[in-house]
Amino acid sequence: MRRTSPRSTTPSLKTMNHQESQRPEKVNPLEMRDLGFIESGNNDGLDDNHDQDELADSSQSRQAVDESDSSEDEVAPRNTIGDVPLEWYKDEKHIGYDIAGKKIKKKERQDKLDSFLASADDSKNWRKIYDEYNDEEVELTKEETKLIRRLLKGKAPHAEFDPYAPYVDWFKWDDAKHPLSNAPEPKRRFIPSKWESKKVVEYVRAIRKGLIKFDKPKEEPRLYLLWGDDSSSADRTKHLAYIPPPKPKLPGHEESYNPSLEYLPTQEEINTYQLMYEEDRPKFIPKRFTSFRSIPAYENAIKDSFERCLDLYLCPRVRKKRINIDPESLKPKLPSRKDLRPYPVTCYLEYRGHEGAVLSISVEPSGQWIASGSKDGTVRIWEVETGRCLRVWELGEAVQHVAWNPLLELPILAVSVGSDVLILNTGFGNEEQQRKAKELLQIGTPTSSDDSDDISSVLSWLQDEKHDCIRLRHFRTVSSIEWHRKGDYLSTVMPAGESRAILIHQLSKKLTQRLPFKHHGLPVSSVFHPTRSIFFVATKKNVRVYDLLRQKLIKKLETQLREVSSIAVHPAGDNVIVGSKEGKLCWFDMDLSSKPYKTLKCHPKDITNVAFHRSYPLFASCSDDCTAYVFHGMVYADLNQNPLIVPLEILRGHTSSDGRGVIDCKFHPRQPWLFTAGADSSIKLYCH
Amino acid sequence: MGKPKHYRPPGKKKEGNAARYVTRSQAIKLLQVSLSDFRKLCIHKGVFPREPKKKVKGNHHTYYHLKDVMYILHDPLLEKFREIRAYKKKIKKAKAKKNDELARLLLSRAPSYKLDMVIRDRYPTFVDALRDLDDPLTMVHLFAMLPAIDRLKIEVKCIHNCRRLCHEWQAYISRTHKLRKVFVAVKGIYYQAEVEGQKITWLAPHARQQVLTDDVDFNVMLTFLEFYEALLGFVNFQLYHSMNVKYPPILDPRLEALAADLYALSRYFDANYKTSVQEPQVAGSSISEQEQEESNLRLAQLQRQLPANEPGALMHLVQDAASETEEDEATRDCKNLFQNMKIFLSREVPRESLLFVIPAFGGIVSWEGDGAPFAEADDSITHQIVDRPTQGHVYLSREYVQPQWIYDSVNARIILPTEAYMVGRDPPPHLSPFVDNEAEGYVPDYAKTIKELQAAAKNDVQPFPGMGNDVLDNSQNMLAEGYISRTEAMEAAEKKQKMMLLEKQYHDDLKMELQDVSSINKQSSAEDMESKEELLRDVQQSAMDSEDLSRLMMSRKKRGLAKAIEMNKQRKKDHVEKLKERKRNIEAAQKSEKKHKKA
Repeated sequence: MRRTSPRSTTPSLKTMNHQESQRPEKVNPLEMRDLGFIESGNNDGLDDNHDQDELADSSQSRQAVDESDSSEDEVAPRNTIGDVPLEWYKDEKHIGYDIAGKKIKKKERQDKLDSFLASADDSKNWRKIYDEYNDEEVELTKEETKLIRRLLKGKAPHAEFDPYAPYVDWFKWDDAKHPLSNAPEPKRRFIPSKWESKKVVEYVRAIRKGLIKFDKPKEEPRLYLLWGDDSSSADRTKHLAYIPPPKPKLPGHEESYNPSLEYLPTQEEINTYQLMYEEDRPKFIPKRFTSFRSIPAYENAIKDSFERCLDLYLCPRVRKKRINIDPESLKPKLPSRKDLRPYPVTCYLEYRGHEGAVLSISVEPSGQWIASGSKDGTVRIWEVETGRCLRVWELGEAVQHVAWNPLLELPILAVSVGSDVLILNTGFGNEEQQRKAKELLQIGTPTSSDDSDDISSVLSWLQDEKHDCIRLRHFRTVSSIEWHRKGDYLSTVMPAGESRAILIHQLSKKLTQRLPFKHHGLPVSSVFHPTRSIFFVATKKNVRVYDLLRQKLIKKLETQLREVSSIAVHPAGDNVIVGSKEGKLCWFDMDLSSKPYKTLKCHPKDITNVAFHRSYPLFASCSDDCTAYVFHGMVYADLNQNPLIVPLEILRGHTSSDGRGVIDCKFHPRQPWLFTAGADSSIKLYCH
Repeated sequence: MGKPKHYRPPGKKKEGNAARYVTRSQAIKLLQVSLSDFRKLCIHKGVFPREPKKKVKGNHHTYYHLKDVMYILHDPLLEKFREIRAYKKKIKKAKAKKNDELARLLLSRAPSYKLDMVIRDRYPTFVDALRDLDDPLTMVHLFAMLPAIDRLKIEVKCIHNCRRLCHEWQAYISRTHKLRKVFVAVKGIYYQAEVEGQKITWLAPHARQQVLTDDVDFNVMLTFLEFYEALLGFVNFQLYHSMNVKYPPILDPRLEALAADLYALSRYFDANYKTSVQEPQVAGSSISEQEQEESNLRLAQLQRQLPANEPGALMHLVQDAASETEEDEATRDCKNLFQNMKIFLSREVPRESLLFVIPAFGGIVSWEGDGAPFAEADDSITHQIVDRPTQGHVYLSREYVQPQWIYDSVNARIILPTEAYMVGRDPPPHLSPFVDNEAEGYVPDYAKTIKELQAAAKNDVQPFPGMGNDVLDNSQNMLAEGYISRTEAMEAAEKKQKMMLLEKQYHDDLKMELQDVSSINKQSSAEDMESKEELLRDVQQSAMDSEDLSRLMMSRKKRGLAKAIEMNKQRKKDHVEKLKERKRNIEAAQKSEKKHKKA
């Protein structure tokens, strides 16, 4: 009827069908359609008793499949008509035949009323169902009602059934695409494997070679007597000298867990550490713990150790000599100052009278008189021994420079006042000398030099009636005057004079000439060579040395200073000292090189002037820091021996006034005395 | 584009610094190793960068001497490192190809290297190795305190090895009484020992949970540690060999389990001594392995049989003293410091450190816990070390002191009076034994008292309680007596000089006055004073002048050097001044407090 050939289907298909049928009346319409498709054969007239049909069907199929879990159909159905529509037996009194060939009788039909009454009487009637196929009443057990209820809810009929159980594949799929295969056993299963034997050979070889070892190798002792008993017979490796790592610093009192109280920084000090830069902060701040048990673990232990490691392998190591030198040993061995006496040591006299800073002093060649020029516009002449002021000239303008004529018999004085240079007659000396001087200071023929070229426009020789002297009128301010040793020539320097900055005047002929060389830089000072016709011009950077006879540049001395302020030449003529505004003093040995033989950084402020002594091996420098230094400067006749320079004394005494200290210093021509002129309007004489 | 700074024409050979030094990257290229391997090689071989006079490649490179690089290149270690690298690659490859068998096979055949020849190369003599032992000991002691951390590749094995090495070293030092100084700092405990004339200082951290930081590359540290472990192992071997003790020591497992390694080691020494006396041929290599094992077992048993209370050890010590006549005075001093003392450590006291220090100075020590040689109830205990605010049960026969007493006594080399170190008191300041107080220019108070005590112990003469206030006159005498420190003498001398100067001036003034009495009226006394002051200033000025003048003729280099020295001196002076000022402040504060209390 419904299943035309239930026996002929394959087991798997059967199970499938069974599963299908087992499925309850799913509410799922899709499922329903599925069912419909399978049971497509004869779907007619099945509207009635579908339920029952299903039951029967399931029982049958369950019979066929042993492993069915259902325990419902243990008794065979009474009906033996088979799978035919019940309609055909509607009017019969039997439903099939039993095994003995007798009719299986139907039961008497109860009329509606009886059945109703029975149902009303019996409280369990609702459980009873009439099975039309077997023609019997079946009473549903509790389990069955439950089952039906579950079915109605659309759940799986059995409570213990898990519809979503994980799928278990019972079949072993080794080397098989399908669950079953009927391929014959391959030959290789029966013959010894070639590859296995190869592998064996490989292993055998490995074992023979010793690559595979079965017993573990005997462990050699990792530690042994490395250095031997006699450590003396060590062979030094021919390697670079080993520099042992520096040992870490040993801890001091402050690192103790319980340091003395004075090692503990106060709270304010700790607070000030916070204001410091991180690098400057102390790495370790002492702490105090009163007992052993309260010491905590040091928080930087690992970090310190790590940093030490880094130092050991990353820092370049250099063997450095620990300077444990006595600072005394660093001082050069110099002859004792006592052996170098005499030299000026103490202030012996003070010449007072000027009302402004004394800008320049000059000592008469005999050493009897000293002339000074001051900012208050006066030139004074003093007696050296007593400090008496002999003469005063009121010139009205600050006196920049004064210079005695180097000739003893010509007592005249050159003074620079602004842009003028006055050549004054001092009135000293005997009558003969006076006469000569007066004669010299008369300008006989003023026109003689005027007709010469451009000089006239920048300079004029004038007769000054007031002071009875010669006035050389320059076109710029004159900063320094220097006499030639023979007393006839004098040179003047005008720093702002550009190409005509340095002029040389001849007193006897009243002639003036320009220095016939190209100027380089700003001239500061000029000096004549003490013995030869050589002329030194100091510019701001270097010193140029000219030969006046041959009209040639002989040498350029490179001072390597920032700004030269003064220059002095050794009386022998081969050595020059140069003072600079950065407080450095350079000694040049002209035979040696054009670079300084020695540079002395002695003054913290500008050096204003430097001077050599004419006969003693002394030289001095004075500076705005109110001090004057006296040095021993010995020049040897032996050319191979370098000059000996020994600082001897620092002379103090002057006071500073508006930033200037000692402005000029000069040595006495015969005695080892030094005159200094200060901005505090006094002149001091320092004696030995 | 101009020529580079150090241009070399193409055909010209390199010479000078350019040929002698290579940068790090050049060195790596030359050696054909990775940077990390290069680092390891440098650490093992002890190669460090050098500072060439002229840095050819620029200032920002590190330079290695070419000879150093060649030194690495010719070491078999380099080949070994390459092998390890290749081996690692092989394993990785085998695993990636799922060749588990090969990987397993490879894993069982890991290449390993030994550092013995490297150590021999770096330290040709044993003394060389001892000289550089500071860093290894510090590092090993630190790692002995660290926990094993997988993340940082710090293995348990490594930590255990470090602990063992530490204990072995300490046992040797303690046994031979070579410890000289101990200093408890915030950072840990510094020990200084003198072995074969080398002063070895190391730092052992306090036995606390260490703080681990992130900003540390443990790979570098572990490389160092690897080398240090090997070095210390060999050094220990040598030291034990010199004592005729077998190395590595076999310890009583019971004591080892109780973490009393040091004590176990000391017992091992005793036992070993006995056996070596009984059968000196034990050391012979003829014994088979089994026999050796047996002897080991017997050794361990023998240790257990040794009487717990140490007279045996003491007897040995006496015997030793007879035999070791060559040992120096310092060692004898150290050995006899705690000679007749029996010291007991309470439970809260840092045991390891004291177990190391006390026997090193000849004392007998026990502790609270299993395996201890004698118990707390022992009547012969003379001192008990206690570190707690109060002590409940007190035995009258012994003194209760804080642990600092041990360390201070050790540093002072005398038994200090125990009053200041009693339980519950704040102990006196713990001073560093590494400081030369006189050179430093400041002597703490407690150092002075210790000095007095030392002098007293030496002469058995009680020092005068109060020093004369007029230091000036006494300074000479006191110097002769040897009580006063150098700095004080110097200060006194300075004062004296000043006074003498003043005196001289005064005399001069007097003379002048005498001479001029007739001519000049007497000036007012105020003026007189002024002139005096001026004179004094002049004298100072002249001194400064002469200083200036001498500096004038120095070369620039020397002048700089002199300046640096002077600055250093000044800094030291400032530091001392600061300390003195603080001390004054503290004293003033204390005084005022006392007054308050009285009032």
